Amino acid sequence: MKTKRLLSILLVAAMSLFLLSGCTGEQQGADNNPAPEQKSSIKIGGSSTLAPIIAKCADNFTEEFKTWDKVDASLPEEPIVIFVSTGGSGFGMKSAVDGTFDFGMVSKDLKDEEKAQFADGTNVQLGSDVLDIAVNPSNPVAQVKPDLTTEELKAIFSGEIKNWNQLDASLPDRAIVVAVRDLGGGASEVFDKAVMKGTPISPEALQIPSMGALAGKVMDNADTIGYVSSGLVNQNPDKITALSVDGIAPTVENIVAGKYTIGRPLLLVSPNKPDSKEKAFLDYLQSEKGLKVVEEMGYIPFSK
Amino acid sequence: MHLAQSKTNTREKFFVAGITIIAALSSLLLIAVVFFMLQESLPIWLDTGGFKFLTGANWRPVAVPPKLGIAPMLVSTMWVALGALLIAAPLGFGCAIFMAEFAPAWLAAVIRPVLNMLTGIPSVVYGFLGAAVLVKFFEVTFDLASGESLFAASLVLAVMVLPFIVANSEAALRAVPAEYRYAGLSLGVSKPYFALHILVPMARKGMLGALVLAFGRAMGETMAVLMLAGNTLLVPTSWFSKGEPLPALIALELGSATPGTLHYQALFAAGLVLVVLVIAVNVIINIILRRTRSGVNSI
Repeated sequence: MKTKRLLSILLVAAMSLFLLSGCTGEQQGADNNPAPEQKSSIKIGGSSTLAPIIAKCADNFTEEFKTWDKVDASLPEEPIVIFVSTGGSGFGMKSAVDGTFDFGMVSKDLKDEEKAQFADGTNVQLGSDVLDIAVNPSNPVAQVKPDLTTEELKAIFSGEIKNWNQLDASLPDRAIVVAVRDLGGGASEVFDKAVMKGTPISPEALQIPSMGALAGKVMDNADTIGYVSSGLVNQNPDKITALSVDGIAPTVENIVAGKYTIGRPLLLVSPNKPDSKEKAFLDYLQSEKGLKVVEEMGYIPFSK
Repeated sequence: MHLAQSKTNTREKFFVAGITIIAALSSLLLIAVVFFMLQESLPIWLDTGGFKFLTGANWRPVAVPPKLGIAPMLVSTMWVALGALLIAAPLGFGCAIFMAEFAPAWLAAVIRPVLNMLTGIPSVVYGFLGAAVLVKFFEVTFDLASGESLFAASLVLAVMVLPFIVANSEAALRAVPAEYRYAGLSLGVSKPYFALHILVPMARKGMLGALVLAFGRAMGETMAVLMLAGNTLLVPTSWFSKGEPLPALIALELGSATPGTLHYQALFAAGLVLVVLVIAVNVIINIILRRTRSGVNSI
């Protein structure tokens, strides 16, 4: 009886402490930023595009080495634990800055003021993600007009052209279903920078909550046009057709040569310098093994 | 004896104090949430202006300067939620009357747990089924370019809120005192007459409460509408247009909004609007329910 009561009082006390500490917790996190060596796990969060890549690499890394001392003899003999969670590029940056995660995954070009936050810390590019202009293979546009100009794309995505036959008279008289990611997200920013250049996306465009669902929409609906990660297009070659833009197809050669410009970098950022464990994992990601995973997932690995 | 008495007293006092603290903490949580949302969204209310924010028809959060108007989302939210009620209310009331009055005990004992189990299905599953089945169905059957619509979202929401309407309406029907039944039967009215002209009017406030509760739930539901409503930025003009209800807007954009920007603050402001709407609905229920009790007594 007594111990039970004591326990409940302790619990209540602990709860109220939590509540109180909630107010100041953030500042403390910021003070502790020079990360202590004895941290037992690496936490990474952010972009949903990058998450599967990092998660796969973390799996391989953990399986290969199991404990840190096998990665590097100077590290302690502790099991390797790496957490990966998603939540978007903005969330990744925010969490890296406030210390919730050790690294933020970001899949967009950083603005200058954002870059400044990580100038003294970590800002590593693992590869690039290219946005393909994707249509359903059963849509005749894939045969009739496999190459669109930036102007045509602009007209379609801004809602100026509403029917496929307005694009080309031989196409069916059906409404164009424009599918985009949420406005303000990483992919939207890339598309705005490369194609729209400030022209607002049509308010009739469907905003799809994830890149996977956007690819799914293109696969399911013959009237849809959207921008889809090259990774997803390459994983479903029979179900999604990528169009060329201004005569340039989204092939690896064109992307590496910088000719195909609708793309974004895949970054890991942190406001702190990596500690020795984090460094070891970063090195692994940038090694051939890591970059191979980037390529396997359909993205373009970073070449120095 | 005297000593033991005082010991019990202190024990009791401790117990009461402990419980009071816990109760206070849980209500503090609600206040803290609202306060936090208000704090994060303050620049919207002060600089952009609440009226402009609520009635603006343009949502371009990343344009320079950003245009932040949530009128399309507010209209979508109301439309989707009211539409869901329009579908769910007749079904739910009918089912409740059937279960309370006409169903044999064994049948009600089967239907009730099944309906309750419907509430346990995660909303993402409903959304997923809706996106996979309903959207495709509308596209094929009505030859639409794309099948997402407020109607599709309402349809799925209706299934989601149906159990609440049935359970609460049935409880209200069963709460009608037995004297009225005996009085009715002794006057020789038929069972349907009794159910429709005596039972339902007696329980109508409780049933209205069930409806309002369902409305609150329908407004706040996220996953199903996110996957079905289409998320377009136009003010919806019919039940079959696409739209973007407030929860979908927040779920869609919060991950990519840069903290500290107007966009981020606007999303918090949208969240605050939603919370206030749902709290208002709950207050209305409480008022209705309080009147119900006095209503039955005064008849």
